[in-house]
Amino acid sequence: MIAIDPEIAEIFNAEANERLDRIVETLLAIEAGEGDAPAGAIDTMFRDAHSIKGSAAMVGCDQTRGIAHSMEDVLGTAREAGALAAGLVETLLSAADALRHAVTSETALEGDLPAPELAAVAAEPQAAPQRQDERRSIRMPTAKVDRLLEAVGENVVQTRRLEHVLRTSLGANGDERTSWELGRGKFLLDELQRAAIDMRTLPLGSITAAYPRAVRDLALASGKEILLEISGTETQLDRVILDGISDAISHLLRNCVAHGIESPAERERAGKPREGRIALRAEQRGSFVAIEVSDDGGGVDPSVLERGTDGGSLAEVLSKPGFSTASEVTDVAGRGVGLDAVKQHVESFGGTLVVDSEPGAGMVVTLLLPYSVALMRVLLIERGEQVFGVPLASVEEVTVVGSLLTLVGSESLEVHGEAVPLRDLATLVGAQATELGPQPRAVIVMSSRRRQAVACDRVVGEREVMLKSLGKLLSGVPGYLGAAIIDDGGIAPILDPAFLARQIAGTALPAVQEGSEEPSAPKVLVVDDQFTVRELQRSILEAAGYRVVTARDGREAWSQLADDAEVQLVVTDVQMPEMDGIELLQKIRADPRRSAIPVVVLTSLAADGEKQRGADAGADAYIVKDEFDQRALLDTVERLLVLR
Amino acid sequence: VSPHVRLRLGGESYALPISGVREVVDFGDVTPLPGAPRTVVGIRNVHGNVIPVIDLAGVLGLHVDERPAQILIVEDAERVAGLAVDGVTGVEVISDSIREIESPRLTGAVLLDGALVGVIDLQAVLAAVENERSG
Repeated sequence: MIAIDPEIAEIFNAEANERLDRIVETLLAIEAGEGDAPAGAIDTMFRDAHSIKGSAAMVGCDQTRGIAHSMEDVLGTAREAGALAAGLVETLLSAADALRHAVTSETALEGDLPAPELAAVAAEPQAAPQRQDERRSIRMPTAKVDRLLEAVGENVVQTRRLEHVLRTSLGANGDERTSWELGRGKFLLDELQRAAIDMRTLPLGSITAAYPRAVRDLALASGKEILLEISGTETQLDRVILDGISDAISHLLRNCVAHGIESPAERERAGKPREGRIALRAEQRGSFVAIEVSDDGGGVDPSVLERGTDGGSLAEVLSKPGFSTASEVTDVAGRGVGLDAVKQHVESFGGTLVVDSEPGAGMVVTLLLPYSVALMRVLLIERGEQVFGVPLASVEEVTVVGSLLTLVGSESLEVHGEAVPLRDLATLVGAQATELGPQPRAVIVMSSRRRQAVACDRVVGEREVMLKSLGKLLSGVPGYLGAAIIDDGGIAPILDPAFLARQIAGTALPAVQEGSEEPSAPKVLVVDDQFTVRELQRSILEAAGYRVVTARDGREAWSQLADDAEVQLVVTDVQMPEMDGIELLQKIRADPRRSAIPVVVLTSLAADGEKQRGADAGADAYIVKDEFDQRALLDTVERLLVLR
Repeated sequence: VSPHVRLRLGGESYALPISGVREVVDFGDVTPLPGAPRTVVGIRNVHGNVIPVIDLAGVLGLHVDERPAQILIVEDAERVAGLAVDGVTGVEVISDSIREIESPRLTGAVLLDGALVGVIDLQAVLAAVENERSG
């Protein structure tokens, strides 16, 4: 077993808790009778338990692994049966509590506190969630809900503070009971906070009712035949966000009618059906909601698309004020009208605007919005002894700026073969800070489809925070979406990724490919859908001198292999969304240019089938997750690279 | 005739109408906010809300060496802020007429216990910080 790096422990803790939150949420929904445990829900819970088990095994949290394993077993049986027995909900909730406790104690910096036995937890009385009658509702002023949310927020902060004070004063000698009570209190408060936030949300359907009629009228007036399809109206969004985007969506729909969909005659000439289609779709993606407005009209001019690839994203090009009046693009005049306003609006909530278009085939505008303005997932980073938050939606990855790369004189960092401008966070925001250490961290931030590397001293970890406004007095200070109160009662300003991008673009020197990087260090591609696992492997491999790139699933890995000819070895997990590890392996073996790349498959001990499938597909080596250790990984990688 | 909060700042005594004062808190942990106006010391967590803390001495043009000990949380119709002060000495009803004096940040001055006490113009102080931002 390896000693847990505190940073990894933190990340593991955050990830496990997030998965546990989802499991508990699903269990409560099942119990409340919102659907009788659909197979999908069981499957998701199974995956979550499985993932926690896998990470726990890798970071050496044995107790966590054990409990997660039991949960996985129970859920696995339920998955096969296609249903969850009613009595199991209670048991699984208890197990989730025990698991949370185990995660907390095993990732504590000093001394592992023993978790109470499962049975002891099960004996603890469980607060039965209120069964709700969906048909009844109450109306109340929104200010009341906001006051509740605020009061809950204050409680959360106070509790975190109390916990911090207690843990600090108890130190390593903290007794089991205190720790357990604290964990329990935090869990209950989390539930309360979630419930309060839920009260602020409304379904998208609450603002879409007027759209079909508006589109129909506009289409008639412009002599076009158009069908509007709306789906995902049940998707919940924060009331504040909904209010704000209602105008934005009607604007996008108007654009589709006026400038996207062609006249019936034109469509027939192009071999399309006379009737054009506009689709408004919404779906939840993690803690984000994606709202997509698409049409099957003419799309943007190819010349515009080209500008999109040269000078930033298509969204950026189209939303440049005054863009549509440019003479060379008269045929798409209007496609960008007002898009800058939409973009600014979306970004002010910590969201992103993405535009895709295929000439002749249409255009898709996606608004990626946080589920709640109040709650935001951020990555906390430290620079000059001050903690800042970056919205997780914009963070692509975190990397170590190698010691061979000098920050002075070299303004970019190589990320997956691409030169990404690198700037010191302190310089970007104008903070006082001592010089960066020898191995600063770089957060790769994606904004408006542009990557930039932001250098900081340390990565603190992921948090779900309440985003607070800086208030009217500071509303003009550029660079921040707001601020959040963190664990110890301190404050972390939350950075605006769009601001970082603008600052970097403003100071950008021509991208320099730094030549100081040692060319002989072999590059390893690590593929895993879990952040913890990826970061753990990355830190081990990088410490041993390898260059490491990562991918979240097989599909991403495959596109990286296509872009980056330098990858000399792949380490991949098996179970992943989109494209799994075996499929990735098959693709590599089938491609003549890449078939010789050694592939190490990371597999669970129990999954014998995986090993066989891997062997059939041509894996070079296996590492069993449950027996994972640093030496085994390094030995295997070294052996395979020497053979090559 | 209205109650005022009396405060100390840079060895001098000031008063502020109590109507605009919400509470008094210890200086505590104030987080710097890079990019904020110079007269903003930082932001502070007050009961779970993020409040900008204003260097009142700086706004009034005083030179103060010691670190402020307390923060007066003030508000008007649309703004909330903390004013960093050396200390709050109490609440006093000011019955004497306030004399007009030449100062852009004071509504006037009043003679209390034989000393001239400046009455702070909250609106002017907040406006000064806002203008610094936009200027």
